[in-house]
Amino acid sequence: MDKIAVTGIGVVSPSGIGKRQLWANIKSGRSFIKEITRFDASKYPSRIAGQIDDLEKYSTISERLLKKIDAFSHMALIASELALQDAGIDIKNEDPSLVGIFLGNAIGGWLYAETELRDMYIEGREGVSPYMASAWFPAAPQGQVSIYYGIKGFSKTVVADRASSLMALGYARKVLAKNKLNMILGGGMEAPVTPYALLCCNTYGALSKDNSHPQEAYRPHDKKRNGFVIGEGSGIVVMESIERAKKRQANILALISGYGTTCDGVDRINSAKDGKELARAINIALVDAKANINEINYISLDGLAVDIWDNSEVLALKEVFGSRIKEIPVSCPKSMFGNLLGASGALDMIIAIQAMEHALVPPTLNLDEPASNGLNYIGKQAKEHTIRKALIISRGRGGINSALVVEKGSNNA
Amino acid sequence: MDTKSKVRDVLVNLLKVKPDELKDDLTLQESIGVDSTEMVESVIALEKSFGVKLSPKEITKNSTVNDIANNIQSKLAK
Repeated sequence: MDKIAVTGIGVVSPSGIGKRQLWANIKSGRSFIKEITRFDASKYPSRIAGQIDDLEKYSTISERLLKKIDAFSHMALIASELALQDAGIDIKNEDPSLVGIFLGNAIGGWLYAETELRDMYIEGREGVSPYMASAWFPAAPQGQVSIYYGIKGFSKTVVADRASSLMALGYARKVLAKNKLNMILGGGMEAPVTPYALLCCNTYGALSKDNSHPQEAYRPHDKKRNGFVIGEGSGIVVMESIERAKKRQANILALISGYGTTCDGVDRINSAKDGKELARAINIALVDAKANINEINYISLDGLAVDIWDNSEVLALKEVFGSRIKEIPVSCPKSMFGNLLGASGALDMIIAIQAMEHALVPPTLNLDEPASNGLNYIGKQAKEHTIRKALIISRGRGGINSALVVEKGSNNA
Repeated sequence: MDTKSKVRDVLVNLLKVKPDELKDDLTLQESIGVDSTEMVESVIALEKSFGVKLSPKEITKNSTVNDIANNIQSKLAK
């Protein structure tokens, strides 16, 4: 299958809005995880998150539209605009029937839904905003982005827990490789810092309860790991064929060259212990990318900071890469801003693309003493390293495995 | 406040449009491009605000602010 060019990046995250701000914070290893201030979270077992406080500052969305949409759609609209600007694309000059949107989301828009449900129980039927129906569901951002830009091509929202956005990017590439569309806005968005969503994340049982040390709480692959920390945001990229990108003299930031997905099928929440299906997903992605194990120079870890997930990730990597795994730098930059659930894979890919551009492996916070031996973990200091091809791993509840290969872009691609 | 000013206030605050966009003698469709969900919301807000019963058939995208004010005025007078 053809490689597909990434020509624009839009990102809204706790570590920054826009790719430059994000990268500046990532490379310096700053943590943006703190106590939740949006609502009173004091009774929750886990009450820390990567929160975005100044969304309006970066937004040109009218108040008239804002009152109809949830924060996750707002984030997707800002990220889409940033991606299009970065790609130098004015959507008015595109054939709308040949532009698509492929986004991933895990939980929907609860900030909006919770308020309306509360009103329903207090005021009755008429207390509920008529926009509720179109604001909360996982595909709402896809709808809002399509309306905002008049996009009319084949589009899809993928709901696959934390693997949602990486899966959306994988499918977007497939659709573009079949020449079905001219370009796609691909990625994901998530806004879980709300009372009900936080409650559900808490009952899942995998969140860190180290509330008194927010910046040290999320410890992927560390011996003292005690669960992950949620974050909110959106990562969206412009994807198009290499041919089209070259024709319009676009800056080719990266190439998406391989994708693989499998299911563990053993437990409704946990992954399988052996990592065999994750290994198979990685192998499918490598074969798809026509990349051998010696060509991968960086691996972005899923890094849930839960024993069974991290251990099975290590087993899968050892199975696929053998002794070569000792040489490949691996890291988990989401330790700095939280796990964006359905948007996490898109953020990981965006960070990997920046890492390739700057020849710098992004840090992992709080990886003081690795729980497993044999991996070349990059800790709190970013490390200079040429990256030509990177592997991104993203996994979801119940054992959804997805892996994506991304390559350094250049206009000679 | 007269009925028309109050209707304008309700619609401007509810729909978050600029007061000068909303023209008294143009239909809601023509002046602010109102959509069907906004109409549902508007009818409920006007009912609450004036304490009258309004049907979505009486107040539509094709009503002007003047039409709406007259309709409400006549109900209030009964």
